[in-house]
Amino acid sequence: MEWLNKWFDRLYRTFIVDDRYKTLISGLEKTLIITLGALLIGVIIGTIIAIIKVFAADNKKLRPLDVLCNIYLTVIRGTPVVVQLLISFFIIFVWAKDGTWVATVTFGINSGAYVAEVIRSGIMAIDAGQMEAGRSLGLSKIQTMKEIILPQAFKNVLPAIGNEMIALLKETSVAGYVAVTDLTKAANQIKNTTYDSINPILLTAIVYLAIVMLLTKLLSIMERRLRKSDKS
Amino acid sequence: MIRVENIEKCFGDNNEIHVLKGIDEVIEKGERVVIIGPSGSGKSTFLRCLNLMEQPTKGKVFFEGKEITDPKVNINEVRQKIGMVFQHFNLFPHLTVLQNITLAPVKLKRMTKEEAEREALRLLEMVGLADRSDAYPSQLSGGQKQRIAIVRALCMKPDVMLFDEPTSALDPEMVGEVLDVMKNLADDGMTMVVVTHEMGFAREVANRILFMDDGKITEQGTPDEIFGNPKNERTKEFLSKVL
Repeated sequence: MEWLNKWFDRLYRTFIVDDRYKTLISGLEKTLIITLGALLIGVIIGTIIAIIKVFAADNKKLRPLDVLCNIYLTVIRGTPVVVQLLISFFIIFVWAKDGTWVATVTFGINSGAYVAEVIRSGIMAIDAGQMEAGRSLGLSKIQTMKEIILPQAFKNVLPAIGNEMIALLKETSVAGYVAVTDLTKAANQIKNTTYDSINPILLTAIVYLAIVMLLTKLLSIMERRLRKSDKS
Repeated sequence: MIRVENIEKCFGDNNEIHVLKGIDEVIEKGERVVIIGPSGSGKSTFLRCLNLMEQPTKGKVFFEGKEITDPKVNINEVRQKIGMVFQHFNLFPHLTVLQNITLAPVKLKRMTKEEAEREALRLLEMVGLADRSDAYPSQLSGGQKQRIAIVRALCMKPDVMLFDEPTSALDPEMVGEVLDVMKNLADDGMTMVVVTHEMGFAREVANRILFMDDGKITEQGTPDEIFGNPKNERTKEFLSKVL
């Protein structure tokens, strides 16, 4: 049991002394804030882009907007998210002192490009008869989209959005590039202060894993609930 | 009530598929017009042109004296007065029966939520489904779904009802319950335009039958005229096959 005692001692010196675990907790907080904020922004952007692309398919007046959307999708999906972060922080939002909101916005804009395709495919999967039924009652195209198509599309793509959230959570671990002390950065700082390169990194991995497993579980519960009104 | 002037409809990227080849027709208030004809003759397309679910390639459609093919007309307002029932019901699967029915009247501010629900329950009572108001569409049979779809359209208090093969997707034993609802509607004086293959219904309910073939109305008349003494060769041939 000698090694166990040694290990506990090591853990104590790494995480407890000088309240270093608090750095980790505040890092975790930042990670979660960035993830949730970015997901929210991503879903909003993604939904707007998806709707524009769907409507532009049979409305020539929307073509210019469609072109803008395509440029956005190409640029965002064609460049690494770390580079996008650096551009945001050092070129666009140069006055920003706190990188957290810059990271949130950047990850949100990044995520929007991926969510857009997910939601668009969700909309396309809805039977054309649903739009026709809505329109035949006198609802406008936008009202039908909002009341009838989107609720069904969201339900269909919920698992994919959940996966996007999981991917996002892990992607935010590069937020340290722009002066954000997220979970990963916090672990790195502890490593540098304590010269313990094993425990902080392993603990961080465990925390990410635990959150991902929790999210996966929540997602499957939510899916089951939503299935209640599904077609048999 | 509805008047169409020389409408044509083409499909395809270069309009190469000519579905409607010039139709002139007037449907008066209170009429019950049944459209019959072989598959691909353009019956459904013609019906869908009446509320501009399909935009005619040429020609004009008038509803209650107003040209609705005019791009300046707000088609959504016009459609509030034209109920439509589809072959595949097209109920909203994420909403309950009651929500399916009340969504449009409430969102379009035709009624308050309470008024719409009262009206919906009254109509559900009429079609014998008052006890299913909280069910989801997936929990209903085909015949029940179609009766709900009819109620959904009726709740907007339309001036005319369009039926696009309302019983074609139903199991045979459920056809009757839907036709009964439509007959009641006809007895109440609703103006109806029905595309159907139910010849018994056509004979009993229609006051005028249009026979369509190859994108045109080739013959029309009362049920007695069409079924008893068809003049057109194509009509005779069609009826000999379906009767």
